[in-house]
Amino acid sequence: MKTIRLLFFCLLGLTGLLASCVRGDDYDNDAEGNFKALWTIIDEHYCFFDYKAKTIGLDWNQVYTTYHNRLSEDMNSMQLFEVLGEMLSELQDGHVNLYASHDIARNWSWYEDFPANFNDSVHELYLGTDYKIASGLQYKILDDNIGYIYCPSFNSGLGEGNISQVLQDFAECTGIIIDVRGNSGGELVKAERLASHFTNERILVGYMSHKTGTGHNDFSGLQEIWLEPSDGIRWQKKAVVLTNRRCYSATNDFVKDMKECPKVTVIGDQTGGGSGMPFSSELPNGWSVRFSACPIYDVGKNHTEFGILPDINVSMKIEDILKNKDTLIEFARDFLKN
Amino acid sequence: MRISKFILSLTVLFLPLGVEKLYAQEYADVPHNRYTSHGLTFGVGLSNVFDSYLSPLEYTGMEIRVQRETFRQTTFSDGRVYVQTLLNAHASATENKAGNANMYEGLLSWDLGYFYKFGLNDRLSILTGPALDLNGGVIYNERNSNNPAQAKVSVNLAASAMLLYRFHWLHKDFLLRYQATIPFLGAMFTPEYGESYYEIFELKDSGRHLVMTTPFSAPSLRQTLSLDFPVRQTLIRVSYVGDFQQSKLNSLKSHVWSHALLIGFVKNFQLIKPGDADFKKTPLQP
Repeated sequence: MKTIRLLFFCLLGLTGLLASCVRGDDYDNDAEGNFKALWTIIDEHYCFFDYKAKTIGLDWNQVYTTYHNRLSEDMNSMQLFEVLGEMLSELQDGHVNLYASHDIARNWSWYEDFPANFNDSVHELYLGTDYKIASGLQYKILDDNIGYIYCPSFNSGLGEGNISQVLQDFAECTGIIIDVRGNSGGELVKAERLASHFTNERILVGYMSHKTGTGHNDFSGLQEIWLEPSDGIRWQKKAVVLTNRRCYSATNDFVKDMKECPKVTVIGDQTGGGSGMPFSSELPNGWSVRFSACPIYDVGKNHTEFGILPDINVSMKIEDILKNKDTLIEFARDFLKN
Repeated sequence: MRISKFILSLTVLFLPLGVEKLYAQEYADVPHNRYTSHGLTFGVGLSNVFDSYLSPLEYTGMEIRVQRETFRQTTFSDGRVYVQTLLNAHASATENKAGNANMYEGLLSWDLGYFYKFGLNDRLSILTGPALDLNGGVIYNERNSNNPAQAKVSVNLAASAMLLYRFHWLHKDFLLRYQATIPFLGAMFTPEYGESYYEIFELKDSGRHLVMTTPFSAPSLRQTLSLDFPVRQTLIRVSYVGDFQQSKLNSLKSHVWSHALLIGFVKNFQLIKPGDADFKKTPLQP
């Protein structure tokens, strides 16, 4: 009888355990449900609320009120997408997107509102047709013995061997130009891998943190980011990094790292920023959402979300473009030769 | 010859035990620590997967599962102590409600349990005891960017109980068994709430990744209802497995709920050692 009683209480315990299901928030798949799901995802996970409240006056609770008022029961999915996209646009963050089958909601003001400082046609004249390609790095030696690398993305399979091979080719050059204009990012480890060939010492290049809870100010302590010198060929002469406003995300991080490397000078325009490592989530209707989740800081513990200033600010001149000259490349060549 | 005899004596010999012997351990004249029951079952089921690190939505879909069990009577406490090792492996492919995203999940769990038998009557017995529960697996969301996967690694001390009921029907013996295992203390790996794996593995972030678990922070249950019955010279096992693994750690919620139907077979082995009365009768005797 005693055992039966024990069994009964055990089963009762099991029932209680099963009742304590761990589940997520349950939102309806309608305009109201999708709106609340999106607002909550950003509210609980986005990492720049405090910073953007100070810099652009962002008030996320006010955003809720403003955009919730635009919802209606009879709105179709296109109209809902427009409202949600505009709501996200308030964050002024290139890493924040809403993906539907028909469109991607975005705020690309980080480069759209600024001059390109890059001209495809002119740039092609510098590369010509005889340039080499090492896993995404396009490179050649210019007439004045300056090595030129164009890196359009950090999404390629860039390896240590590729970078060492390029630097080996440039061994006799006076200096090198690494042109990352138009490079809107990719993998952080690839950016760090390239930067690691420009330092002989282990150097502190910044900090990173992440959210530890749902509150706007629930953050971990700052984790140091160290740049380890590559085991491959390391560049020992002067180097220039060319930047424009389209340098974003992992490229912004690359520029941050390179600014700490000796003998490296950043020339061009301010980068586009994008210092929050993006995470993904989704809405009940299946739309995917991306948002900045883990902020990365420079060595001064400053946000670089809105970009990094160059060491020397140089802009493209229209008269140079008309002469098929790239103002930034020409400036960098002169800089390296002198 | 002595060496080969010795090696042979260490070999576990499969004996074609009569199918009427459904649970070899139950026979009073069986020497202690001699019989082992091995069960191997395969099956399919339904999974419900949710991990707030990856998505706020629950994903549902099919799973495949394999369960391997070894159940052995020991010499302790006059043969009332049993040892069970239970391996569960399953993999699932699930999708969200909208049907436009997939999540893949796989989990391997291994339990080592010691049970004390309370015989209620000739047909009904209850076995309870502690178990060590090891789990390792991953949940992968195919469309996420820097949070594409969640590792599931945990070690637990669990309480396990089983109820056995033997009955005779249509001139055959049947064994109905229900087993439930609940972890009550353990440790689980988890990233912090919004932490990327880049920070954990590249920056070697020393955050709160190994978290102690209790039935409140990780209310989980693995239960099996099985029926063993003979078909010709084979013991068949049909079972239902309900596997509910849940956690609320570092403000991250997760669950993997599975319901699976399995079918397989059970084999009873007997270990024969030199000196045993039956040793010379074994087929491996040179």
